[in-house]
Amino acid sequence: MNPVFQGLITIAVGVGGIFVYFIASNAFLDKVLFPAKGPNASRNINRANTIRPWLFMAPTIIALSLYLVYPVIGSFIRSLFNRSGDEFVGFSNYTTMFASSEFRTAFWNNVLWALVVPSVSTFLGLLIAQLTDKLRWGNIAKSLIFMPMAISFVGASLIWKFVYAIDPELGVINAIRVNMFGASPLDVLQIAFWNNLFLMVILIWVQTGFAMVILSAALRGIPEETIEAAIIDGANPFQIFFRIQVPQVTNTIIVVFTTTTILVLKVFDIVYAMTGGNFNTQILPSYMMQFMFRDDGRATAVAIVIMLIVTPVMIQNIRQARAEMR
Amino acid sequence: MTRKLTGVSVIALLSVAGSAMAQDLIAPIGEGDFSWDALEEFAANHDYSGETLNVTGATTGDDAQRYRNLYAYFENATGANVEYSGSESFEQDIVIASQAGGLPDVALFPQPGLAKDLASQGALVPVPDDMVEFMAENYAAGDSWKQLATFVGPEGEEDVYGLFFGTDVKSLVWYVPEQFEEAGYDIPETQEELMALSQQIVEDGGTPWCIGLGSGAATGWPATDWVEDMMLRTASLEDYDRWVSNDLPFNDPIVVNAIEQYGNYALTEGFVDGGPEAAATTDFRDSPDGLFDFPPACYMHKQASFIPIFFPEGVEAGTDVEFFYFPPFESEADLGRPVLGSGGLASVTNDRDVTKGFLEFLGTPIAHEIMMTQGQFLSPHQDANLDIYTSDVQRSLGEILTTATSFRFDGSDLMPGEIGTNAFWTGMVDYTTGADAQAVADQIQNRWDEIQ
Repeated sequence: MNPVFQGLITIAVGVGGIFVYFIASNAFLDKVLFPAKGPNASRNINRANTIRPWLFMAPTIIALSLYLVYPVIGSFIRSLFNRSGDEFVGFSNYTTMFASSEFRTAFWNNVLWALVVPSVSTFLGLLIAQLTDKLRWGNIAKSLIFMPMAISFVGASLIWKFVYAIDPELGVINAIRVNMFGASPLDVLQIAFWNNLFLMVILIWVQTGFAMVILSAALRGIPEETIEAAIIDGANPFQIFFRIQVPQVTNTIIVVFTTTTILVLKVFDIVYAMTGGNFNTQILPSYMMQFMFRDDGRATAVAIVIMLIVTPVMIQNIRQARAEMR
Repeated sequence: MTRKLTGVSVIALLSVAGSAMAQDLIAPIGEGDFSWDALEEFAANHDYSGETLNVTGATTGDDAQRYRNLYAYFENATGANVEYSGSESFEQDIVIASQAGGLPDVALFPQPGLAKDLASQGALVPVPDDMVEFMAENYAAGDSWKQLATFVGPEGEEDVYGLFFGTDVKSLVWYVPEQFEEAGYDIPETQEELMALSQQIVEDGGTPWCIGLGSGAATGWPATDWVEDMMLRTASLEDYDRWVSNDLPFNDPIVVNAIEQYGNYALTEGFVDGGPEAAATTDFRDSPDGLFDFPPACYMHKQASFIPIFFPEGVEAGTDVEFFYFPPFESEADLGRPVLGSGGLASVTNDRDVTKGFLEFLGTPIAHEIMMTQGQFLSPHQDANLDIYTSDVQRSLGEILTTATSFRFDGSDLMPGEIGTNAFWTGMVDYTTGADAQAVADQIQNRWDEIQ
């Protein structure tokens, strides 16, 4: 059968099925299990209302436990076993991992990524959102900056490979070095420590558009009166921006910041495609890839570490989102 | 207008029909120097009408088409239907399939190391004894090939787990004969001469080598070939085998010496186009381009027999570019003229009659000839007709292979995945960009200790 039809049928069955489930289970609860009539009508209504939320949440709970909770627990159990998975080794995968210098490099690089990328892309996003707000061609500038969002990380890496290329006829950086300063070309991806920043630039390039769009919407949501009042009181543009506008979008800034942080902790494509983790640019996700399908014990141990790091950020993110809703 | 359109569509239809027929059989049966009698004999003894055989491998695109062209003959001879699916992430996919279900009938492994892992988990079916005998007798250096496909099974017993199909010769140095003639350079017969030639080229104001280790996530592998070739030329075959199985530690002075022998070429000032830093990241596919620059960016490029695929367009191997055998040391004459190579292993993952027949088919000379006639395929099969090779380069490569006295398989392909496809690669990148050979070797050995 044509895959398109298969897809359509799957969608129809899935969406339709869930509708049928909600309606049928609701009807079953109200009409059969606890009918709102007869001698116990009021008790039945109360009982039905206690059960109803669980009934409606059941598909989500089942799906989440199957596809999220079970894999986490399964991965943790797997990380306690050896390479081939038949011998229990306790936490030795973790101890060898913490002892390995490559893991420590990957860990600290990741910390660096998690500090630099969210702050820079949020900052640039805020700045651009503000600067383009009143410009006539602001929307064009915004769409240009937003465009990299549509590119996959591997695609973005390939583009930047050209920027960083050692051949001055290809690489922008080396073209400038050679043609304007007469210096010899160099491979920026091999300069210790700084090469990490060159890799981060790629993600910042991709991610700034996201921050810009969200923050731009938030800035426009600020009541005009507050800004007008500040102008009348004689505030200069910097004071208006930092004292009036930014405090009113702090919550959005935090959401953008944490969302980007979570993304940073997951990203592995850029390092994998650009350096393969060579020249001390390893980060945790690409470090994990080295072990995947070879030594799943080690790989899952790294995965658990990544999860432990991401969790607090994620909880913060959810709290923020909920506070926003109130 | 309408008539014109009809004409166009008729032509389109015809060409579609034509290509469909060409897809059926790439060389018409009975014509040319092929071993058609082998196909006839095979067809007479095997009938799998109506059966479907699933084959997976790492080759995709045009490369996969060459294999499909071959399978068409199997379909033609037996009536079976072969479904081939190739994937760039074959190595991962097959491991997942072995654990989660959904294994194909036959898997074509690009490196035997992975097949070894799967054999120990019981995912592969041993090759029947008569096929093993067949490979040992009909392949040049057949015992080496047999040994390479011998793995320990799930119960701890040793068996042969596949048939080698398609090989590459690695001990080759590519050069442009015109450049050599113009500069008056001779083909070196020993490592000492090769080193002297390299120095000569530097003195003449040229750059002897193009080296490129870049290969995305696999960056570093070309340097492992250098080290393996140096191992074969500075250590005994026994030491090489012990190194591959880690009975000889990676940080042993013998291995460190081999790494440094590679360094003598890669790290010497002025020897490598762009210097070692550039070598570490230049893509291996772009690296040979320097041979064809004018004036040449470099004179020599060490790479396996598959590299002509990546030469610039219009360059013809055999006329514009030639190769010579990466020579042995005169001081180590007793080590002979070893050849380093690699090859794909066809393994049965599902025990059926038709899979056994398929393996037998891959053993027939005609199967090898069909691949040879499509180019970029070397075979150690002694019954395969060398005249089928499409170029002199291929033919002389084939000769190196069929006359090899000692043949050793690419060591990194045999080592456990963590070493051969990771630690060894990154270690060589570190060494090429300035790390100490001993430190690099220690680090790789540490990693190996961790997995034992």
